[in-house]
Amino acid sequence: MSFIPGLGLAKGMALTLRRFFEPKATIRYPEVRADVSPKFRGRLQLLYDEWGALKCETCFQCAQACPIECIDMGGIDTKGRYHVHWGPPEQYAERREESALRRSGRTVPDRAYEHFEQLDMSPVEAILDDHDYDPKRMLSILEAVQAVYGYLPVAALKQISFRSGAYYALIYGTASYYGHLRLDPPRDAGQARVAASARPDESVYLASLGAALDGRGAAAGAVH
Amino acid sequence: MTATSSRPSADDPRITLDQELGIFEPVPPYPPRTEREAEFYTLGDGQMFINMGPQHPSTHGVLRLVLKLEGEQVVDLDPVVGYLHRGVEKLCENADYHHTISQVDPLEYISALFNEWAPVMAYEKLLDVEVPRRAEYIRVLSAELNRIASHALFMGWMALDLGGLTPILWSFIERDEIVEMLGALTGQRMLFNYFRIGGVNGDLNHDFMSRLGDWMTRATDQIEANLTLLNTNEIFVRRMRGLGTIDGQTALQMCWTGPNLRATGLPFDIRRAHPFSVYQELDFDIPTRIEGDCLARYLLRLDEIKQSLRIIDQCLHRMPDGPIMAKLPRLIRPRPGRAYAAVESPRGQYAAYAISDGTDQPFRLRIHDPSFIHLQSVGQLVQGQLIADTMAVMASLDPVMGGVDK
Amino acid sequence: MTFVARTWNRLTIPGRVLLGLFLLGGLLTGALIALIIFSEPILELLGANLPLVRFVGAATVVLLMTIPTAFLIIYMEMKIIALMNLRLGPDRVGPFGSLLSVVHGLKVLMKEDFTPTGADAPVFTLAPVVTYLASVMTLLVIPFAPGLFGQDMNIALLYFFAISGLGVVGLLMGGWSSFNKYSLLGGLRSAAQVISYEVPLVLSVVGLLILAGTMSLNQLVLNQAGWFTDWYIWQQPLGFLIFFIAATAEANRTPFDLTEADSEIVAGFATEYSGMRFGFFFFAEYVNVFIVSALTVTLFFGGWNAPFPFPEIALAFDPGSLGIALLILVAVVPVVGTLILAMPFYLLRSSMPFWQALVIGFVLFNIVAVAAVLGWAFVSLEWVAGLLWFMLKTYTFVFIFVWMRGTLPRVRIDQLMGFAWKWLLPASLLNLFVTAGAVVLVRELGA
Repeated sequence: MSFIPGLGLAKGMALTLRRFFEPKATIRYPEVRADVSPKFRGRLQLLYDEWGALKCETCFQCAQACPIECIDMGGIDTKGRYHVHWGPPEQYAERREESALRRSGRTVPDRAYEHFEQLDMSPVEAILDDHDYDPKRMLSILEAVQAVYGYLPVAALKQISFRSGAYYALIYGTASYYGHLRLDPPRDAGQARVAASARPDESVYLASLGAALDGRGAAAGAVH
Repeated sequence: MTATSSRPSADDPRITLDQELGIFEPVPPYPPRTEREAEFYTLGDGQMFINMGPQHPSTHGVLRLVLKLEGEQVVDLDPVVGYLHRGVEKLCENADYHHTISQVDPLEYISALFNEWAPVMAYEKLLDVEVPRRAEYIRVLSAELNRIASHALFMGWMALDLGGLTPILWSFIERDEIVEMLGALTGQRMLFNYFRIGGVNGDLNHDFMSRLGDWMTRATDQIEANLTLLNTNEIFVRRMRGLGTIDGQTALQMCWTGPNLRATGLPFDIRRAHPFSVYQELDFDIPTRIEGDCLARYLLRLDEIKQSLRIIDQCLHRMPDGPIMAKLPRLIRPRPGRAYAAVESPRGQYAAYAISDGTDQPFRLRIHDPSFIHLQSVGQLVQGQLIADTMAVMASLDPVMGGVDK
Repeated sequence: MTFVARTWNRLTIPGRVLLGLFLLGGLLTGALIALIIFSEPILELLGANLPLVRFVGAATVVLLMTIPTAFLIIYMEMKIIALMNLRLGPDRVGPFGSLLSVVHGLKVLMKEDFTPTGADAPVFTLAPVVTYLASVMTLLVIPFAPGLFGQDMNIALLYFFAISGLGVVGLLMGGWSSFNKYSLLGGLRSAAQVISYEVPLVLSVVGLLILAGTMSLNQLVLNQAGWFTDWYIWQQPLGFLIFFIAATAEANRTPFDLTEADSEIVAGFATEYSGMRFGFFFFAEYVNVFIVSALTVTLFFGGWNAPFPFPEIALAFDPGSLGIALLILVAVVPVVGTLILAMPFYLLRSSMPFWQALVIGFVLFNIVAVAAVLGWAFVSLEWVAGLLWFMLKTYTFVFIFVWMRGTLPRVRIDQLMGFAWKWLLPASLLNLFVTAGAVVLVRELGA
């Protein structure tokens, strides 16, 4: 408070006017990212051990345990297929609807990954019904499913998880542990192939990938 | 009432105004349990209740104030707490000693380092370990930074509750610099989880030190420049002066501590009265003011920021070499016993009382929180003032609901 | 078309009705204009009732004018306060975020129009309309430029104060009918505030009226022609100060924005409003800012007068006198201008193809031509220059209002009332008596 009435107001007004022209503190987020210190502990990342191997064993336990479902796992497994997936779908609304289901440890019908073959699920339903939806009889369920399809489609595994209430990780573990269960369709024509005809030929895909990589390499070479 | 196709309104004869619309009154559905409750929930002539919170734009967090009004004047006030209760003390009983540090972190989330400090000190007393001096200095350094961040935010909130839009954003810029700095030191920006039993989690690093040095050169000027917006502003000073006045004796009877008590003229500061850590070796003043009103509480925090800057400066100059952690086994089983430790948090005396039964989990961890203590006198301070003053007094006490509700 | 269909589907029912009404209004206006232009007997009829036609036209224009004005002021408020807060503010929609307020307007149209249980529905619905209309109607008497005003009344100032006082009725209606105690408090606060500040507001202008001897705003502006020293601010500094403070309170602006004090009574009278009803309140508030600034400029800062006697460059240029040369001019000038403006680009940038240089030259020529026409209009058309000066001054005051909002905290209700009755009222009375005495003295001594 000063003796001249209004001097304090005038000082404040002058200060805001000066700040009007000063550089701004805003970080324009999607274009510019804030500096994150090297010590920051909130970062999610996969760690490598001292031999350079990935420490993650893709056990899915982190994704299943994450209470706010921010951990999303996806990638190519040892057999070169993208069907290891656990995590929230992209859209929030969908996530909210299904979060209760997801938190219960079951799989959720996952529309984002429906580029796998459309399977006729009635045999799976029948098998599950025969086995009383009992997760303890998982091996025989899986064997029966393989007998129908010739292999274990991911969609079928998810359906089994969804219906029986067993963790997808457990079913995937069982399926990938036993040697006689297979997760990809058999190559030789003698065995049953249900929907494999819809899949694009892998060799064609690999060839196009190689071409793309060559092109990029060539372009990079031209720059240097 | 069955569902009807038309919109219900007050003119609808099917709705009796008293029954159907009476639910808007904040009167509890049970019969009054105490005399005070019976008296409070009886409306006099021309009085009305108004429910401020828990979703009101300016009740710091989820506090609910039931105001009994006569026009604009507050006749009586009843703070209702507990909307943010997370059972932290119970969670701590079921956690490892190390885990409790992260459990108590979100109590007074504005100044999380102090939340960790009190339990950690209590555990150290239980275990009888000596904390390395370097660790103590790092603790003091980071905690004083956190105090500045908390006070800076307080000034912004104060202005916002009085209708000023700008200071809160300037305060957040100030706070953000400090919080980024602490992020570089501790690895997190808000809930640091940095103090460990017998030391701290990480040593000072280059990132932190360069940010700190950069900030220290301009901190005083920057904070003072921000404050000229309000310190001499006639509207602000006229509203704050003489509002919510309390004298030292009453404040002591209400168990006030911290800046709110010091604004009444009593120089009680745990850093001096019961020195902990290395505060005994540091040279700083205990600022006081005698008015005991909102303006004094506001200005006192500015003085505290200056003293904190002094402490930080001394810490940087006297920082000893050495380890940052005492040698302790990974699994801690303190001998059965009890320990009490108190720190001077930005809001007052923040204390922890730990009981060990010899296992690796605390038998009981009691947290004493200053915000809760200060909140109980709001009704006394606000009686007879106007609605607008309720917010000003609330803001000047600087409660954090995370700590109040635990 | 898909865009139209999609937008239409997203609109809520009230939004569709409003949009339909807007379109209908636009069609009717268009039809009216067509009728006026093309039918001779109607023209004659209108000629007989020219004042009425003029009034209806002015009212329509003023009503339509409020929308872009409110959008502009809302954007100014968002951006300026952001810059003062050391933020960037809106910067995504449109250049420098300037379309954000338009987007907000669209959002408000599409939101649900909610009436709370227990609200007095008819009053609740009418309240925003009353407030909005009251603020729009005052615009009718403000002279924007020489010859550019709705109605030149000899009691314009009285009309202005009377109508702007009606706005508080809308706020009170909204506060009462919402069935919410916060709204009620807000409504009562606004009533108390506006009625208290009306007194010093009117009294502060009386001194000026004694000096001017007229209540017609147009005449007031004409009185202030010449140098900026002729403006009334120099003769009535105290009057201006009181008027400005009281007008801030009238427009419910910081530091007197108690009616919608968000930290105390949530949003005051507008707490229960949503959708376009809230939009009307919101618009009315910003239109009020414009009106108050405009009135301040009109009364104390010379209205549309330039701050100095503008040199009268008579470009009395009659295109008809050129005869056949005009045709050649119209045909030749664009081509030559484009070529001349394209030449430096083509010559200096060797990599630029000729057609690109031509395109750049053409665009530049258009800019130059538009600038030339605007400059000609500014110099030779009196009302264009007047409008520009008026808007410049008015938006300076709008900036000051926004600036105050970015700086000052809010006063308390008892301080607000005390200030009005204990300080502003005596000061305005003092101003009135001193002015009257001075006028009498000058008249006696001069005679």
